[in-house]
This record gives sequence, C-alpha cells and structure tokens, in this order.
Amino acid sequence: MRIGISLLEIALCLFLIQASARFGFSRLLTRYALITHSTSVADAAVSINPSDPDTHRARAAAYNSEQRQAEATQSLDSAVSLRYRDDYLWIELGNTREDLGDTSGALAALNQAVRWAPYYAHTHWQRGNLLLRMNKPHEAFADLRQAATANQKYFPNLIDLAWGIAKGDLKTTQSLINVSNDTERQALIRYLAGKSFRDAFILAHGSAIAGFLNGGFEEPLALNDVIFGWVIAPEQRRHLAIAVDATQIIEGSKSLQITFDGNWTPGTPLLSQTIVVEPEQTYRVSCEVRSNDLVTGGLPFVTVRDVTNNMLLGKSENFPSTMGPWRTLNVDFTTLPNSQAVVVRLERNNCEASCPIFGTVWLDQFQIAQTKPTIKQ
Amino acid sequence: MNQKRRNGPRAIAALLLFSIAQVSLQVGLAEPVNNATDVTSLPQQIVARLTTRNNQPITVNGLSATTGASILTGATIETGADQSATVNLGPLGSLDIAPNTKLVLTYDDQGNVKALLIYGCVVLSAKKKTNGEVATEQSTLGKTDPAAGGVLRHCFGPGATTTPNPTPAGGGGGLFGLGTAATVAIFAGIGAAALTPLAFQDNPSGANP
Repeated sequence: MRIGISLLEIALCLFLIQASARFGFSRLLTRYALITHSTSVADAAVSINPSDPDTHRARAAAYNSEQRQAEATQSLDSAVSLRYRDDYLWIELGNTREDLGDTSGALAALNQAVRWAPYYAHTHWQRGNLLLRMNKPHEAFADLRQAATANQKYFPNLIDLAWGIAKGDLKTTQSLINVSNDTERQALIRYLAGKSFRDAFILAHGSAIAGFLNGGFEEPLALNDVIFGWVIAPEQRRHLAIAVDATQIIEGSKSLQITFDGNWTPGTPLLSQTIVVEPEQTYRVSCEVRSNDLVTGGLPFVTVRDVTNNMLLGKSENFPSTMGPWRTLNVDFTTLPNSQAVVVRLERNNCEASCPIFGTVWLDQFQIAQTKPTIKQ
Repeated sequence: MNQKRRNGPRAIAALLLFSIAQVSLQVGLAEPVNNATDVTSLPQQIVARLTTRNNQPITVNGLSATTGASILTGATIETGADQSATVNLGPLGSLDIAPNTKLVLTYDDQGNVKALLIYGCVVLSAKKKTNGEVATEQSTLGKTDPAAGGVLRHCFGPGATTTPNPTPAGGGGGLFGLGTAATVAIFAGIGAAALTPLAFQDNPSGANP
C-alpha cells in the first residue's frame, strides 16, 4: 500500500516535471520566435504546447511579418479559441483579417474585442477606425468618441480624424467630435489654431473680426500656452526684460516696456500676435513707439506676414533710436487671395558683423483698420 | 336646464382642447434639437490603414499612431530610429516607410498617390490604374506607369540610403547567427534531450546500456 502511494506520488511528480518542461520550453521558443519572427521556431513552439494561446499568437506574428496573413489568421483563430476573453487577441485577429481584405470578419473580431473590454478605449478606437475605413462614419465616430471619453489621450487623434474626414469644415468637425466640455473645446481650439486660425478664432470668440487683443497692453501678458493675444518668443525671454509700464503711456494707463541687454538674434521675432483678416483686402496696422538710448546696428521694426506661408506683406519704418515723443508707425498691406490670418511681429534689422542691441523701447496702442486700396496709376 | 345641458358639452370640449394643447406643447418642447450635421452625408473617400512594425507607435500629424490607425490624405508621417511602417492604400497600393523618415502622403479616389519625401526612404507599390509618385519639394524622384503599376524605391536627404523591404523576410539570422534551421535543430535537440527521460521513463534501462 505504502509503495503504491509512493509510486503514485513519484508518477505525479514526474508528470508535473514533464508538463513544466514542455511549458517552459515552448515559452522559450515562443519568446525566441517573437524576437526573430521565425515561423519554424513558432511552429515548433506550437507543436510542443498546442494548448498555449501565446504560442499561436507568436506564430501569427511570425507569419504576419512574412506577409502570410492567411496562416496568421488561422493561428489567431486557434489562439482566440483557447483564450476567447482576450481583447488584444481579438484585435490582432481583426487587424489580420482586414489585411486579408475580410472587413466583415475583421468587424466581427473587433466586436468581440469590444464585448470583452467594453469600458476600455483601445477596443473602441480600433473598431472605430475600421468602421471609418468601411465608410460608416456615423458608427465610426460613435466608437471613436467613446474611446476618447474613456481615455483622453485619444482626443487629439479624434479631432485630427474628424478634421480630415470633414475636409476642413468646422461645422462638420464639431458635429463629428460632439464636444461635450470646456477642456475638449480648448483642445479643438488649440488644434485649429495650427490648421485654420480663423476657425479657431471663431470658435473661441464667436466671430472673426480683425483686431488686436490687448493692443494697448492694459491687460497682463500671458507668457505660456498662448493661442490668441501677444506671444513673447520663449528663446528671447532670458535676454530681455519685459514689463507693463504705467509711467510711459500715450493712451489708457499702461504700455509695454522692453529693455535689451545686448542679445536678440536678427531675423527672429521677439513679440507677435496673429490676427484674423479677410482675403484680398487692404489694411493698416499702426502702433505707438518710444525709445530711450537704443544702441544697435540693427534697429527694430514691425512686420506683417501671412500666417500660411510666412510671406512678408508689409513692414514699418525703423524704431527711433533716441528719446523723443511717442511716434506712430504704420504698416500698410494687402492680404493674399487665400489669406485667413496675418501675424504682426516685432523684428529687427540684420547687421554686417555682430549685432548687439541695448536700450529701452515702449510700445502702445496697436491697432488694425481696413483701408481702401490705393489704385496704382 | 337646457342652458345647462348646452354648456356641459362646451365645457368638456374646451377642457379637451386645452388638454390636447398641453400635450402638443409638451411634445413640442421635448422635441430634440438637431443642430448636428448628418455625418452619413459625408462623401465616400478612401481611408488608408497604418501597420507599424511590432506595433510600435509612429507619428502621424504630430500625434502618436499604431497599427490599425486610419491615415487620411495629406497626413504627415514620421518614423524614428527602429520604427518602420506600412500604409495600406487599398485599391491604390501600399507605401512602406523606413526608419528615420518623414513624408507627406496624399492620395485621392481618382487613382493618384504621392509621397512627398522630406527625408528618409520609402517604397511605393502602386497597383494598376494608379498614378504613383515619389517626390521631394524640389523635384519628382519617380512615377509609376498606370497601365502596369509598379514599385518605386527612393531615398532623400543626408544619410537616407536603405529603402525598406516591401515584403520583409521572416526568420532572421537565428541564434548567434547560425541560421533559423540550425537554431531550430539546436532547440529541438535540447528539448528532445530534456524530454526523452520523461517520455521513456517507463524503460528502466534507458536508451543506452
């Protein structure tokens, strides 16, 4: 009796040892197959332990890397039959089926992925993308929106897809995204500012009227994360002192004081603001300037450039170098046929050799007004 | 009495009318406001599909994207070192993108595909009836013949010399560069050696005397 029990225990141990060895060895081959994308190693792993879904998955990856999607699909079918609750396996199966051109099969697989992970973003994101390619935008964006709700990191991608599918139409984009809160609205504005400044401005302010924001520097200047309003070039900030000054004013109660300590790379803008304009219209940008002991070989001036292509549309006279009364500088320009916005910049002239700049300037009363075009004789 | 009889139905009718008006008003107020554009009216368009190597993320329009992402016309695609990708353009063909590549991909349903290389290497496989083109901002590097289709392999920019393989070979060098077959043989040998005593443990003598 005792011997019998001992023999049974030994047999059980040997069985467990063998099972562990088979499992461990197949996992070793699986890992190796994943690294090398070797189908023969993956096949060996599957033959040693066919009941392990990971071996089938590794074989599918190897076949996929050889563009043999039919075999990869078979392997993934086996994998999901062994571990049918694994949403990632279903996603891989869906992707591989789509590679084979089987979109309905792919959708069925991704439906399973969503079924087993209904509250996760990645399953909805994958299915939404597939539905989009199947020309089902309504269902696609329902899924994509759900993904972005579950995980906000998908929201910029959602905006990008909506903007692309809507071919740059703001109303359709908004409808596809279905913006539900202020954070999402801000994200959309931020995205649009890089694509269509006019639409971004309309979304933020309700309408698009040419005009400076805080043109008289009465409000505090925001230094970071600025979409609308004055932008101070971050790389220039450490070389100059910028302050809102209440002593030197021409109108209102404040002006902007900039003190140079020598460094300002010519050709780089120091201060800028983007303004909405109408295409093929003539405008005048004006500002009030005052200087104190401005010592440099390259005096500052104001430029107006088209936002889309950075084309110079107009520039002002140079700033005065000596202290005197406030001086009005004007920039007259005509916008391009496709102009949506222009950027007004504080730039400076280049010098032949080194080009330091010292002294102080004050800026106030930036304004823009539409003017009648001058008829050339 | 008659007067009362005459007024009764009038009062009931007025009450009924008032009730119906109330219900209509409620329904009218409860009606959903439909400001949204009907997205199903969007024009049909080809939407390409991204596959990245080992499902590693690459950059599309400045945003992270992995396998399964949709690529729309005009997309700027960028791969880093150790990242490569394939864009499946459906009926138009496919585009293989090598590591350290940046390009703008445009296509339409008229059969035009253009990869505007900013730097790096690509392989554009254009199917029949597709006008495939690989170009830089300065010039066209190559075009396919729509009658026959074709494959364009081009690199642009400093250090861009290796075009990706459109059908990457599997396997690899194997363990220590011995080759896949030899590696499998070694692993199989080790496995067989490890499993033999277990498989034939009912033989007390073993394989050898």
